[in-house]
Amino acid sequence: MDTLVDINNVRKVYKRDAFEVPVLNGVTLAVPRGDFLALMGPSGSGKTTLLNLMAGIDRPTGGSISVDGKEISRFSETQLASWRSRHVGFIFQMYNLIPVLNAFENVELPLLLTKLSKKERREHVQAALEIVGLGDRAFHYPRQLSGGQEQRVAIARAIVTDPTLLVADEPTGDLDAKNAQETLDLLQRLNHDFAKTIVMVTHDPKAAQHAKRTLHLEKGLLVEGSYGVETAANA
Amino acid sequence: MKFAKLIRRNLFRNKLRAIMTILLLAVIFFFVATLLAILDNFESFSNAGEGANRLVVQSAISLANLLPYAHEQKIRAIPGVVDTAKLQWIGAYYKEKSNFFANFAVDVDKFPTVFDDYKVSPQDLAAFQADRRGALVGTDLMKRFNWKVGDRITLKGQIFPFDPELTIRGTYVHPVQTTSVFFPMEYFQQSIGNQGQVGTFWVKVADPKQMAAISQQIDAMFKNSDFPTETFTEKEFQQNFMSMMGNVKLLFTAVSTCAIFMVVLLAAITMSMSARERVTEIAVLKAIGFEQRLVLAIMLTEFILLTAIGGAIGSYGAHFLFMSFDAGKATQGFLQNLGVHAKTLTICMATAVGVGLIAGGFPALRASNLRVVDGLRRVV
Repeated sequence: MDTLVDINNVRKVYKRDAFEVPVLNGVTLAVPRGDFLALMGPSGSGKTTLLNLMAGIDRPTGGSISVDGKEISRFSETQLASWRSRHVGFIFQMYNLIPVLNAFENVELPLLLTKLSKKERREHVQAALEIVGLGDRAFHYPRQLSGGQEQRVAIARAIVTDPTLLVADEPTGDLDAKNAQETLDLLQRLNHDFAKTIVMVTHDPKAAQHAKRTLHLEKGLLVEGSYGVETAANA
Repeated sequence: MKFAKLIRRNLFRNKLRAIMTILLLAVIFFFVATLLAILDNFESFSNAGEGANRLVVQSAISLANLLPYAHEQKIRAIPGVVDTAKLQWIGAYYKEKSNFFANFAVDVDKFPTVFDDYKVSPQDLAAFQADRRGALVGTDLMKRFNWKVGDRITLKGQIFPFDPELTIRGTYVHPVQTTSVFFPMEYFQQSIGNQGQVGTFWVKVADPKQMAAISQQIDAMFKNSDFPTETFTEKEFQQNFMSMMGNVKLLFTAVSTCAIFMVVLLAAITMSMSARERVTEIAVLKAIGFEQRLVLAIMLTEFILLTAIGGAIGSYGAHFLFMSFDAGKATQGFLQNLGVHAKTLTICMATAVGVGLIAGGFPALRASNLRVVDGLRRVV
């Protein structure tokens, strides 16, 4: 199977004053293209750190991370920023829309970094908003949207550049049951209909059930695996 | 330009704070522009006779002490002196004390040679010289009082027991001194009893390189007389006149610097608050691919725009206010032709941009250097 994310013996240690806090202790993981992977585990287990590393917003202390054949752990900050703009879509727990921009403008933000014309940008944004079912809310500001709608705008922003990888950290953590279900259905549809590779961090077993497979982290190690996964213990 | 909307929306995201900051900046830049305009006004006054090759001879004791007419013949005889004219500052006002302007008794026959930078038509000059009570008036003063040639005006004397009753016989044009009145020395002398003394002699010199030597020669000539003299170039004379008010330039510069320093601190507080409130948003921008330099440029542009808007409102506000407002009248003639000119506007706008750079530089740099994971620490 075609591997999109290849994580090899990755370690991450945070420095807190004079202390070193190990968060990941040699994780090896392969995420195939088109996968929908849920990462679960208790607080402090390192799941968000692992997500950050494969999304290129943090750097490993050791080991290597390759995405789509490129070893991003060797990229400079500028290279990483440029790479993220083309290859990664982010979905956050608190949506993190820019409050002074309306839904259309929020979704358009990643496209401002491309060479697309204004007309092309408009077409892409409208298409993304249609996919998430908010074509009629394009000119609403975040404060005028419900939590579920805000999260769908955030998903539209994440997919508007047609990224290689979608990362979602607790995407339903701030939503009620109905909106959480809608959001998970949408992620599932993006994975199924648009073949998007998705890695999702969640505490919620019900949310994890929407993924194709689930991995558990504990104390910086993958403790339970399935297809394509190796733990530090058996690597 | 793609980011203009983001910058504009962020600029006014907290409308009350943005408006209050802009108002504060506007008030301070209005104040600074006004101080600079006053300094500019003094400077123009000091430079009024620049290039006119004139020396001013006054009493060595003080400007208030008079010199005898007899000095003039001796000064005129010095090689290199083209001509001399007696000039007496009268210090009178028109109708009310607030209508104050410079008015002088002068030797009318010497006026065209010694004050050749004052442009007068031949007809006006002839009429002025022919009338014992004729007056030659600056164009701006004519406009200020809606005077016309032929009008009769009476000034009220304050220094001398003399109320000049004059008929306007003509107007003059001068780049700086636009609000003065000249009338015949003979009329003044006869009115106060012909004392044969005058405040100053104005000396036209042929070669500007000789001005220092002639100046020394004049003072040496009268050093041991009962009426010793002190001779200045016209610029020095005007500067001495201004210095009677103390070191105004230093005072104004110090006050302006303090005001700018204060505005830098206040702007820095506002901008730091604005940047701190947006830590998560900045982290999101960086996460989706905005490079450090782009974040820095967007934030700096926003902060500089804030100070530039305040600076523009304040300095251009002062510019338009003084265009439509007679500062000469309001200051009883002290500030004639007060205006915020292009040079002052440029200084104010450059300062406003500088304030934005200095005050916003640190918060913008800190925001652009923010690690994405730190900015998102509670989210991703």
